[in-house]
Amino acid sequence: MSHSDTIPLHPSSQSDIDEIENLINASVHQSVPSARPPSPPRASIPVSVSVSTAPSPFISSNLPPPPPLPKSSVSAVTPSPPPPRPGIATSGFGPAPNTLTEPVWDTVKRDLSRIVSNLKLVVFPNPYREDPGKALRDWDLWGPFFFIVFLGLTLSWSASVKKSEVFAVAFALLAAGAVILTLNVLLLGGHIIFFQSLSLLGYCLFPLDVGALICMLKDNVIVKVVVVCVTLAWSSWAAYPFMSSAVSPRRKALALYPVFLMYVSVGFLIIAID
Amino acid sequence: MEESSYTGLPTSHLLGSVPAVVTEENNASKHVATSANMQIFPPNNGGDRGPGYNTLGSPTEAFEQQPANNWRGVFSISSYSEYFNVDTDVVLIRLISSLNPVAGDFFSKIDANPDLYGLIWISTTLVFVLASLGNLATFLMQKHVDNSTSWSFDVSYVNVAACSIYGYAIVVPLAYYFFLQYMGSNASLIRFWCMWGYSLTIFIMSSFLLIIPVEFLRWVIILLTGVASASFVALNLRSYIEGNELSVAIIAAFFLQMALAIFIKVWFFP
Repeated sequence: MSHSDTIPLHPSSQSDIDEIENLINASVHQSVPSARPPSPPRASIPVSVSVSTAPSPFISSNLPPPPPLPKSSVSAVTPSPPPPRPGIATSGFGPAPNTLTEPVWDTVKRDLSRIVSNLKLVVFPNPYREDPGKALRDWDLWGPFFFIVFLGLTLSWSASVKKSEVFAVAFALLAAGAVILTLNVLLLGGHIIFFQSLSLLGYCLFPLDVGALICMLKDNVIVKVVVVCVTLAWSSWAAYPFMSSAVSPRRKALALYPVFLMYVSVGFLIIAID
Repeated sequence: MEESSYTGLPTSHLLGSVPAVVTEENNASKHVATSANMQIFPPNNGGDRGPGYNTLGSPTEAFEQQPANNWRGVFSISSYSEYFNVDTDVVLIRLISSLNPVAGDFFSKIDANPDLYGLIWISTTLVFVLASLGNLATFLMQKHVDNSTSWSFDVSYVNVAACSIYGYAIVVPLAYYFFLQYMGSNASLIRFWCMWGYSLTIFIMSSFLLIIPVEFLRWVIILLTGVASASFVALNLRSYIEGNELSVAIIAAFFLQMALAIFIKVWFFP
């Protein structure tokens, strides 16, 4: 009887142990799928083998199966962190070094190339002249600033007396002139982007800059007049489509006249200052 | 064994639930960012359309109501666009009218639509013309006297021209506006600026004649120009002012215009 009593107790304890093992396997399965899908079937096979190979008389065989399962889970978990982390880090830091850590010369070169491309779009023939949105989409103020300062310096170098006053008049005429011309178009009911207009008017000074440089090297009055007339016509031609398309046709002359007046003033300064 | 198994299960559950919550939070934050972006775009569109609508609306309102109530602050460009509500042909008509000194109907011509375009660009043109032709005339006169004179551009002419012309065109109408307000007459500052601005047109044309290096001829030209411009101002001012007791102001306006003419002759065309 004592022997018979012990035998029924053992089967119940064995069933409890089996349930616990199943729960452990289930938890392992829950964690394993996120890490490695193929590993779950391998883990499940040993469990079934252990169940089939676990007869009631062999109690000691239950101990060996648990150790290999955690090992497999550990091996499954170990490779999971490394792969995604380097990928995230790479994508996260990818664009940052392209702009922050680039050499200064690369930045300057990119700005210079943009100025050159904008200059080509403004003062040279191209199919987008009538559309300011396409002609000067990527506008900047470095080009206009450079052209205004260059023209002021050229005129002041050409002057024999009152160099600083000549520079002040030229710079004020060009800088304030561009602002006032833009405000004039806005007040006439035109629709232009303020800084885009400043940028375009500044780029239109490029021909006059070239004319001023030539006139500084040549002292002949007739040559000066011819050069300034050509560059003046060129600057006016460059500014015409932008300004004329900004306002209604009935006010086109009102918007264009001040632009022409400014360029004539600059042209006169180039001829007169000696 | 039982204790270890119970401890492991809750841990696995917690580990399983936390990532889900984090994922939801990430999604929520993304949605918030998206809605923020959506909120940013409408104000820009509204801002872009606002000036357009205002521009379209302001002419109608200007015609309907003479005291147009479109003031949107000192720093808003659309506040001033009603004073630039003119077309090319209108400006040309006003320029031609300003050359007729005896008509005296300039205010009736501008009627309810005075502009500041004429004041600004006629003054600017006159500044440039005086600075450039003044240097040229001075050089020609010196060369007429001394044949060996070489060309020298005096850049200070630009400063003197700008200060004198802009100062005159802004201050004199302003002074008359306050004087007439003080005397009880109804005055419009914009109309005064418009009239005085267009009165400078004749000086631009006469400057080209003043290049001729003959002293006597220069005086004749500037006096004729001065009388014509002064008459234009005085007669229009008389038609604008109703009372006869303000004839002193009209005479003062006449002589102020003559003073400007003489100053131009003496300083820029000696």
